[in-house]
Amino acid sequence: MIRHIPALALLAALAALPFALGQNPYLLNALITTGIVTIAAMSLNLLLGFTGQLSLGHIAFFGIGAYVSALTSLGFDVELVGGLRVVHEPWPPVVGFLLAVLATAACGYLVGRLSFRVRGAYFVIVTISFAEVVRLVALNWVELTQGPLALTGIPPFSLGLPGLGTTTLRTKLQNYYLVLVVGTLCYALIARLVASRFGRAMRGLKENESLALSVGINATRTLTVAAVISAAMAGAAGSLYAHYLRIIDPDVFLFSTTVTMVIMVVGGGKGTLLGPIVGGLIFGLLPVALRPVMVPEAQWMVFGLVLIAIQFVMPKGIVPGVARLVTRRRASAATAPRIPMEVRP
Amino acid sequence: MPEFLQHLLNTLILGGTYALLGIGLTLIFGIMNVVNFTHGALYTVGAYVMYLAVTALGLSFFAALPTAILGGLLLGAILDLVLLRPLRGADMDTTMLVMIGAGIVLQSGTLWLFGGVAKSIPTPFPDAPLQLGPVSVSWLRLFVLGAALVLIGLTYGLINRTRLGLAMRATFQDHDTASLMGVNVRLIYTATFALGSSLAAAAGALLGPVYVVFPQMGGMAELKAFAIVILGGLGNITGAAIGGFILALAEELGAGYISSGYRDAMGFLIIIAVLVFKPTGLFAKAERIG
Amino acid sequence: MTRSLTRLPALTVAFMLLSGVAQAQTIRIGVNEPLTGPFAASGTYVVNGAKIAADEINARGGVLGKKLELVIEDNKSNPTEAAAVAEKLITSDKTPVLMGAWGSSLTLAVMPKLADYETAMLVETSSSGKITTSGNPFVFRISPPSALEAEAFSPMVEKLGLKKVDFLAINNDWGRGAAADFGKMLKGKGVTVGLVETMDQGAQDMSAQLSKLKGSDADTLMITAAVDQLTLLFKQMAALGLKKRIITTGGSQNPDQIIAQAGTAAEGTMHLTTFLPWYPEKTPNPAATAYFITEWKKRGFEFAGVTESFRGYDGIRAIAAAIEKGGAADAASIRKGFWSVDFTGLNGPIRFAKAGPSGSESGQSKPDVYLVKIEAGKIVVPTL
Repeated sequence: MIRHIPALALLAALAALPFALGQNPYLLNALITTGIVTIAAMSLNLLLGFTGQLSLGHIAFFGIGAYVSALTSLGFDVELVGGLRVVHEPWPPVVGFLLAVLATAACGYLVGRLSFRVRGAYFVIVTISFAEVVRLVALNWVELTQGPLALTGIPPFSLGLPGLGTTTLRTKLQNYYLVLVVGTLCYALIARLVASRFGRAMRGLKENESLALSVGINATRTLTVAAVISAAMAGAAGSLYAHYLRIIDPDVFLFSTTVTMVIMVVGGGKGTLLGPIVGGLIFGLLPVALRPVMVPEAQWMVFGLVLIAIQFVMPKGIVPGVARLVTRRRASAATAPRIPMEVRP
Repeated sequence: MPEFLQHLLNTLILGGTYALLGIGLTLIFGIMNVVNFTHGALYTVGAYVMYLAVTALGLSFFAALPTAILGGLLLGAILDLVLLRPLRGADMDTTMLVMIGAGIVLQSGTLWLFGGVAKSIPTPFPDAPLQLGPVSVSWLRLFVLGAALVLIGLTYGLINRTRLGLAMRATFQDHDTASLMGVNVRLIYTATFALGSSLAAAAGALLGPVYVVFPQMGGMAELKAFAIVILGGLGNITGAAIGGFILALAEELGAGYISSGYRDAMGFLIIIAVLVFKPTGLFAKAERIG
Repeated sequence: MTRSLTRLPALTVAFMLLSGVAQAQTIRIGVNEPLTGPFAASGTYVVNGAKIAADEINARGGVLGKKLELVIEDNKSNPTEAAAVAEKLITSDKTPVLMGAWGSSLTLAVMPKLADYETAMLVETSSSGKITTSGNPFVFRISPPSALEAEAFSPMVEKLGLKKVDFLAINNDWGRGAAADFGKMLKGKGVTVGLVETMDQGAQDMSAQLSKLKGSDADTLMITAAVDQLTLLFKQMAALGLKKRIITTGGSQNPDQIIAQAGTAAEGTMHLTTFLPWYPEKTPNPAATAYFITEWKKRGFEFAGVTESFRGYDGIRAIAAAIEKGGAADAASIRKGFWSVDFTGLNGPIRFAKAGPSGSESGQSKPDVYLVKIEAGKIVVPTL
């Protein structure tokens, strides 16, 4: 439990944050979108950090989740090949959320199976290609997705509790807490997963695959399950995104958003629990902080330079880097000379 | 039939530049095992240097092209010396992320310097196309094809007939043994990265005048380069050259007969298909160990 | 960690408070335009035109005794970004009125935000009919919807002798709307509508569509696209040997730029524009036109951009008039003020008539539409 104190403290701070900021709509908006992308970053961390799979097409899951959720709640009317016409009436956004999670989990299953056949650099490229194909489909299948015209008027979530009636989450404050709740659940899920036998299997595969296989770890099954959970979480984040922004277009699949997520994970500390959150908050809010001071192009240059610098100065990311500094200080503060031990959070 | 012939002709022309892109990347990927996310930025830089050379410096179109290639060569060498050399031996994630960062800095830099408005590069060729029976081709595009073939030929010659090329091939096969045999592996890496980058810049300098030049143009080019590398097999130059033409063919036929909107998707569908069915590429002869 | 978390937002809030102090001395107008992406050329022209208007008005003492301040943001030619930019401008920069967002899909994406925050936007370029018929009372448009463009073009159909027309349109609300509205008008006149091809706004290679169109038996091809794509199209058409009567719509052609970059490939093409800078004497307000063109040239901008930048100019002038009529610099007063605006813009009277469902009408002005032709490298108004 003590291990979780930093996380709980962070949670408390985040819960109080909107009031500390006077419920400023601009900042709340920034926090909400940052939070959603952070959830996606946490899911990417599961694949990238814990399992060691360089999936750079992660945005595909996020976007598919967004589109599935949006289309479920908007309804559609398309004619498929062979003259078959599919008409769907709008369903409540919550159902969209569930379907988004299921659909992306299925996609994750496919990716998991594929990763077993294809490794290393090839896997990187195939995941990027998958995301690009999905983007081009979203762009060109205008009848279904509206393509560049964008899906607009996506309804916000309506949550109903028996006996308490339904509320529609229209305000920024409500959405902020929704994102916080979902984010906390995802964090808890990942924490449990990592601490379990399954988590040890994942890390075993990442550290030394042949050794892991030799002790009987089923690589395919482990990778596939990790991919399914990771994708489903990204899909959930995508659904939150669609119903908060209430507009999505195929640019949601752009590689640049994957880059942002990767920066958050690797910059924050891949393979750690708090890493993506710290990375998410820093890199998600950095543009907001820089906005009054520099033009967007310059902001992106700073982003790139920071990314490079982290690789040289703190290659494992900010969270492990800070932890190392802390333990080093603690070790040197001790009276008797001791060999400093590295503690990984 | 004439339409099909026109598609074939377009394929040849586009394929030449794609081949340049692919060869450049497969060299870097194959010899250095670096997922080079600056390849697209070098493509863009090549186009902008071409633009600057023709408009600001007043160079002739034909003098501007080698200038752009030289620019790519220099920038590639600098990137390797400053970023990659200190990180030699680090794991793939680290170098990949540094490359992504460098790519972002380069792209944002071009946006900052030149603005977001697309630029046109004036060419000395006549507007009226050359009629070859039922098909027509513009003089500019013919020049692009010719230049691309020349550059591919030169690269091939460099790799297969010079000592530098021999050293590169040795390093690709087994870099420990190569260094034991006296090859200056550090120099080879820098030379490889510079060469690969110059080819990307050349592709950008050639295609820039055909279309328009804008800061984000490298994104799609980079992804297509990855497709070509997969098709041809990592480190396989002939494979990359042929892969470039195959990609162009798939794009032309796909756009012409299936759907113009999915033109760019062809490359990615090919990658996925190839990797699922033949992961080492269509032409890979030797597999890399490790 | 908690410390650094609160420091960043605190800094940002501090900046905002500081800028809030500055706001009391100026009236801020949010400008939401594409400065990067496929529409960057057009968006930049509009912004430069807007700056000329703001400077002119400020030189005369501003509005209601305060100077105008343009807060310019880039929507990257993307609808989601356009909505995000509108949110930024309204909540962070506290602009009581906006101008934007250039493209129809971009404007449509912004409209829900206008309703959420009850802030009006002056639509200077978009031409989709949906913008003023969706029942959004915060939209005031000075550009013609494509239905109006088609109506203005209608008498020229017989004079030009159109029999069968193909369409090539950019694949968004603007292009598709134009193809639909012009198609409807043509069918009503007994003209056959042939192929309707589309192209992605970012596409650079349209050879597939052009090959198809080359093989069709239509005598005319109507194209709706922005200047960069038009230049590429003309060059590719010339390379393919596609010879048909070409008419472009939408008002974002910047014909001088096409002549400069496509050369002989543009010869004989016709364009429906909303401004005649080459013949200032034919414009509704020749003196104002002359002033604008002189100012534009003085700032060193390319003349080609005038056919688009005038909208930025007129847009800011319309907003200034609305602020004046509204009597106060808050969102509600400015919106009310729009309904009383009445002056002559560079391409016609600027007066907002009610459009759309009653009870929540949008404002639509009725500008002029002109047909020009590129002949021997020059722009002429053809005598029909």
